Amino acid sequence: MSGALVGCFYALMALGFSMVLGVTRAFNLAHGELVVLGGYVGYWLWAGSGLPPLLLLPVAAAAVLPLGLLWQWLLERVPEPRELNSLAVTFGLSLLLQTLMRALWQGDYRLIADPVLTASLRLGPVSLNLGRVLVAAAALLVVGLLWLGLTRTRWGRAVRATSIDAQAAALLGIDVDAAARTTFLLALGLSGATGVLFATLHYIYPAAGVELTLMAIVLTIWAGVGRLRSILVAGILLGIIEAVSAAWAGPRWRETAVALLLLGSLLARSGGLAPGMSGAGHGR
Amino acid sequence: MARWLGALAGAILLALLPVLLGFQPYALYLLASAFLWASVASAWNLLAYAGQISFGHAAFFGLGAYAGALSSLAGLSPWGAVLLGGLAGAGGAALIGLASQRLRGAYLALATLAYAEVCRGIVLNWSDVTGGGAGLIGIPALPAMAWLPAPITRGRAAGYYAALAILLAVLVLFALILRSRVGLAWAAVREEEARASVLGLRPLPWKLLAFALSGAFTGLGGALYAHLVRVVEPDLVFNRYYSILPLVMATFGGLHTLLGPAAAAVGLFLLSELVLHPIDPALNQLGYALALILGVLYWPGGLMGLLGRRRRVHP
Repeated sequence: MSGALVGCFYALMALGFSMVLGVTRAFNLAHGELVVLGGYVGYWLWAGSGLPPLLLLPVAAAAVLPLGLLWQWLLERVPEPRELNSLAVTFGLSLLLQTLMRALWQGDYRLIADPVLTASLRLGPVSLNLGRVLVAAAALLVVGLLWLGLTRTRWGRAVRATSIDAQAAALLGIDVDAAARTTFLLALGLSGATGVLFATLHYIYPAAGVELTLMAIVLTIWAGVGRLRSILVAGILLGIIEAVSAAWAGPRWRETAVALLLLGSLLARSGGLAPGMSGAGHGR
Repeated sequence: MARWLGALAGAILLALLPVLLGFQPYALYLLASAFLWASVASAWNLLAYAGQISFGHAAFFGLGAYAGALSSLAGLSPWGAVLLGGLAGAGGAALIGLASQRLRGAYLALATLAYAEVCRGIVLNWSDVTGGGAGLIGIPALPAMAWLPAPITRGRAAGYYAALAILLAVLVLFALILRSRVGLAWAAVREEEARASVLGLRPLPWKLLAFALSGAFTGLGGALYAHLVRVVEPDLVFNRYYSILPLVMATFGGLHTLLGPAAAAVGLFLLSELVLHPIDPALNQLGYALALILGVLYWPGGLMGLLGRRRRVHP
């Protein structure tokens, strides 16, 4: 049960990665570092001001948001084949962010340990950690809002059209650049906010992002690009698998298990992430 | 012919360099490290020539380092242990090459990245054999060889010549491959795998050969590193730098070219150690990160040149 709650968080965390991949066909290997950066910003504010963690979410989002413009500017300029070259560029960006965070926060382990979050909530026979319930509720809320935005608004239609076929969308008069820009801003803001939630669940340190990036890729492979409900199901599944494997093999195998899942998923789905999205192996 | 003479002259110059430097330990250590990086970057480039972009050479380096360290600690002669490290690197590389034979481009890159993490995790957690996070210590140094003049086998000089030997070996092998059927087959697999297989070329054996050779030289480098530094730790030898830096160096130096990656490796490494590191230790990583981003975005063709495809941009 606790695994399923953490799984909701994983789904939320993977959304930013999946959105960027859907709209620009670019892999953002620095995704986890952006999440951790949001976590550090949140920790820093929490330790300095003692604000309740939920109020920190928008602040951390606002802090990471501007990087969206930089990311879009860089990834737009990546030459073909875009998937491979975006991997290389964002590999460099992740190194850059890690160095930056190590310089700013000296590589210490940080945790937002607010007393409100560690209380437990009793629901009949089960007792749950209140922090995890709040995180899962926040994740479900954001996924729901995003689903409404993508399916019920003009902006959502533009983004979906761009991710299916950017050229055709542009021919139909959709402002593809604006759609991409807002997607990047939203995706990176979301990553920053998730970082605060992550910092309430786990200790964060500058290199913690690697595992998150691998998780986001695993979930995107399982769910397909930009499918919100599938990603939620996949996230919950990953959370449960993680909880079971940690109970069976011990928590120190966590990172290895995630990497193994990624390797296995890639080998099993050699055809690319989703039809029409990736163009892996063939020129388009 | 003139080219081979030039290469020979270059090799002799590099062999005499320690004498010119007066066997200064720090300079020799620095150059040995630079040659080690150049070997890994050239080995990476060997695989890239066959169209396979790896983001996980740290796996082969680390496997080589641990195989070398373990067999050396078990009593094998250090030279034998270094060779065994090369074998381990080749085996580890062939394994991932075989498993991911159907993956291309970015997906292969991601698979190798995950493979390196898996290898690191196994070595980190299998503490009965590998010593876990604390690593292995007390690895013997390379022994002096009695039939060689004393100064070149003593202290740092031995490491210098061993690293130089690996670098020259990978460069000579690559030069021979470039003018052989193997080079043609690799280029065919890289340019258009489907067409190559229609023409009667089975891609898998050629890809596996590229993986094994690249892994072998990377593993040799790892095992040599283990005997030079005489301690191995998972976070040291499976570090992501061994995956990123060959990519940076080869992109910067020019993919497909024989000497480009090695030259860029020596240049970037010395620049970062001698110029950036003294200013601020954090800067040397910053330099590599920026070199990678700028290299892909603004170096002619970026990584695309490596796939050999200059696609026309559609209006």
